[in-house]
Amino acid sequence: MSMDAFLNDAAGGLGAEHVNTADETLVRYGENTMPGGDRRPAAVLYPGSTEEVAALVRLANLHRVALFPTSTGNNMGLGTRSAPAAGMAVLDLGRRMNRILEIDEKMGFAAVEPGVSFQMLADELKRRGGQWMNSTTSGPPQGGMIGNALDKGAGYGPYFDHFGFSCGMEVVLGTGDVIRTGDGSIEADNLVNWHVSKYSFGPILDGLFAQSNYGIVTRLGVWLLPRPPAIRSFHFAFPDDSDLEEIVELCRPMKMSNFVPTLFRVANDLYLIGSEVPSPAYAASGGRKSISDDARKALQREHGLGAWTVSGAFYGPSMEAMEPQVQRVVGHFCASGKATYIPHEEAMEKPALACAVASFSGEPTNTELGLLKWRPGGGNAWFTPGTPMDGRTANEFQKLGRAIYEANGLDYQVMNVAGPRFARGLHVISFNREDPDECARADAAYRALADAFYARGVAVGRAPVDWQDFHMDKLMPSFRDACAAIKRALDPNGVIAPGRYGIY
Amino acid sequence: MKTAFTAAQLAEPEIAAADGILRTCVHYGFCTAVCPTYVLTRDENEAPRGRIDLIRAMLERGGRPDAKTVGHIDSCLSCNACMTTCAVDVDYLHLADIARAYIEENYRRPLSDQFVRRLVSRTVTDPARFARMTALARLARPVRALLPGRLRTLVDLAPAGLPPRRDFAGVHPAEGARRMRVALLQGCVQQALAPEINAATVRLLTRHGIEVVVPPEAGCCGAFTLHMGKADMARAAAARNVDAWHAELDVGGLDAVIVNASGCGTVVKDYARLLAEDPARREKAAAVAAIARDVTELLAPDDLKLPETAVPLTVAYHDACSLQHAQKIRGRPRALLRAAGFAVRDVPEGHFCCGSAGAYNMLQPEMAEALGRRKATHIESTGAAAAAAGNLGCLAQLGRFTGLPMLHTVELLDWATGGPRPDALRDVALPEPVARKQTVAPTGAPGAPPPAPPPDAPSDASSGGSTGAAIW
Repeated sequence: MSMDAFLNDAAGGLGAEHVNTADETLVRYGENTMPGGDRRPAAVLYPGSTEEVAALVRLANLHRVALFPTSTGNNMGLGTRSAPAAGMAVLDLGRRMNRILEIDEKMGFAAVEPGVSFQMLADELKRRGGQWMNSTTSGPPQGGMIGNALDKGAGYGPYFDHFGFSCGMEVVLGTGDVIRTGDGSIEADNLVNWHVSKYSFGPILDGLFAQSNYGIVTRLGVWLLPRPPAIRSFHFAFPDDSDLEEIVELCRPMKMSNFVPTLFRVANDLYLIGSEVPSPAYAASGGRKSISDDARKALQREHGLGAWTVSGAFYGPSMEAMEPQVQRVVGHFCASGKATYIPHEEAMEKPALACAVASFSGEPTNTELGLLKWRPGGGNAWFTPGTPMDGRTANEFQKLGRAIYEANGLDYQVMNVAGPRFARGLHVISFNREDPDECARADAAYRALADAFYARGVAVGRAPVDWQDFHMDKLMPSFRDACAAIKRALDPNGVIAPGRYGIY
Repeated sequence: MKTAFTAAQLAEPEIAAADGILRTCVHYGFCTAVCPTYVLTRDENEAPRGRIDLIRAMLERGGRPDAKTVGHIDSCLSCNACMTTCAVDVDYLHLADIARAYIEENYRRPLSDQFVRRLVSRTVTDPARFARMTALARLARPVRALLPGRLRTLVDLAPAGLPPRRDFAGVHPAEGARRMRVALLQGCVQQALAPEINAATVRLLTRHGIEVVVPPEAGCCGAFTLHMGKADMARAAAARNVDAWHAELDVGGLDAVIVNASGCGTVVKDYARLLAEDPARREKAAAVAAIARDVTELLAPDDLKLPETAVPLTVAYHDACSLQHAQKIRGRPRALLRAAGFAVRDVPEGHFCCGSAGAYNMLQPEMAEALGRRKATHIESTGAAAAAAGNLGCLAQLGRFTGLPMLHTVELLDWATGGPRPDALRDVALPEPVARKQTVAPTGAPGAPPPAPPPDAPSDASSGGSTGAAIW
């Protein structure tokens, strides 16, 4: 293995200006928000095309060096743009491969390169007259659409499933070969079905490239939603932690029938309030204790939010036209007398709820990044188990999770993003990364949470870089063997991100 | 971020302030994606995160800064896009001010650099001197090729000519019953370069029942010199304005101090901090800063006195960085323009600076030109017939790279409410006037929906926006 020889050859092909080994760059590309520390790479390279990516992969095979592709590097709480191990050569695809290759306003799709962010596509769609919207996360607006889709990221509207609503890829395999998936695999110049049909002849290979390290996706089709003339949200605040059981039971039929077109954001007090203000209780205990229930109640009153607050939205021709739907949902959620209805216009005055509305509207927003300052020191990890949409189970999981957070002196910040049958539980672990004790507690909490949820048959939706081996080890041996066998077939020298998602 | 200042260093107020800011940065790096200089160079030291580290090292080390650090601080636009996106609210604006003042005090620039910076700081802030230098630049134009590069840039940037000088000092009574009384910052270079902006502002405000007073003693706000690290000059300018406006506040009362150049507005709103160490003016500065408003903050869309018809000109609205990132004003100018009847288009990559940035386009011409061309392309891509912004610097910078008419927001609002057609629109074919739509009255019932937004509602309204995909 010779990284120097690889970089020398890479500079010859890309141009020296596209190979960066400056100390300050390498330090930054190794940084992340995890308790396990930074992972300094050997170099950062900026390919400009699929052909250049393929050439770099072939060079990596020749020199036996490990590559780590990243798009925009905004995978906050999951690893940022940090490789699984130090010493790899980062392929920063965001620098030059950030083109919106195609927008088809008749078929409603866009084809993008890895560097295209949610904000970039939203801006372009707006510039074209705003007839279409892309699903966005509530994370960084500059987050990459391909990276998010491949990591099984999600938004909140009808097209929330970013991998599910993608169609047609171009992929550089670990051998350096380039494939197009789906109808893109036809040897033709007029690939009219590449980004509109998922299920034509042959195996559906696309799934191989979600949460894996079998290839580098350099082009992806993403489906767009016609932007409705009006979007009207509704919100309900529930006073008690245990109300989660009732909430889940209320959400399920509304989603099962698709009466409500968006997912439900079922966020707890500290998730919403944490996006607005830092913890008022941190200093008193030096971060060693969870915030008290009394302090949480005070924050709920101050911010006009509940122990849980539910948000959803309708799409329609005008705000007035959606009044009957809103009244029906208000009647449904307020029937037991526990919920307080927060109408759209009132919610728009509350930043945490306005953020929800933006998310339903395909508008990238920075608001939720405020969660990153709940505790000082920049530590942040996301634990993302799910629950079936059964109220009692969801409540049991809440008690379980809350107890583990409290045992480790951390603050329980959770949003359940609820569909008809399943809700992903976005658990934020906020900690002071400059405090070794808090780092150790964050790591212990993450592992305890994962162990407890696995014991109940629940894995995570997305895994932070620190714990990907840990998660892979929880899976059945034959599944792990299959993953390794696919790796050997598509990337025999293991040059693409070895260890990413626990696959070697 | 951990810092390592000594107790002696922390005894200095500026170092203590810097330390407090530095400690909030945890290197998330959201700032990098929105920083124009990083996006164009991909150099970590050309991003806020890298600059923050350089500033920390410079201040901790003390003594004379190194040329590399100075270069990276000089190349920062102070557009503050990083502050809009920062998850932990790092106060980069003030950290950069502290760093620039430190450099000014402790770094010996090359003589040519000193000369140009001195020339710029003394010319742009004085309308009379600006006029003289403009005339001189006109004479130098035929021999520009013989000039050193830095001077050639200044000659190239100088306007071909200046409009007749107008001085708005004095009191401009409100038309009809007086609703408010405000002081207007007349500014420095704006007086010389674009007096029509102040004229439109005075007409617009007085037409809406607002008495406008322009104290003759007030002048440059200090922004130019502050961002060049010349803090003493900036404080002197601020002191002069605070004295003039506070005197008005005492005598006739003021509802607001109005600024129609957002770069200036950002600094005026920060006078309390700028003059915090001036015991004679500390409280006065705070009083003035507390009532400082951008001109678009003073009028609400419902306040506008509009005629029966509107000219539905399509206007691209450019968010000046100082307005959107520093003052956090994005929706109001759009709402006013829409209320006045204009069809407002957002500009793609709206968070990005146009490269004007005070003296930046004079001192960093290559980067400024790259950004100016990029922004102009985006503005033209909207298909608008004209572009509007709330800051003269942006208008002048973008005017170099696009043939579209560039107007200050108040010029359009003045025209729509009965003022003269702006000169910039003289040769533009205007759409036919249309009857103004009736405003939909809100129902007022508890929990009732708000009225539907107009078809091109601003992005920050987040309540819809399509012109109506057929499916809906």
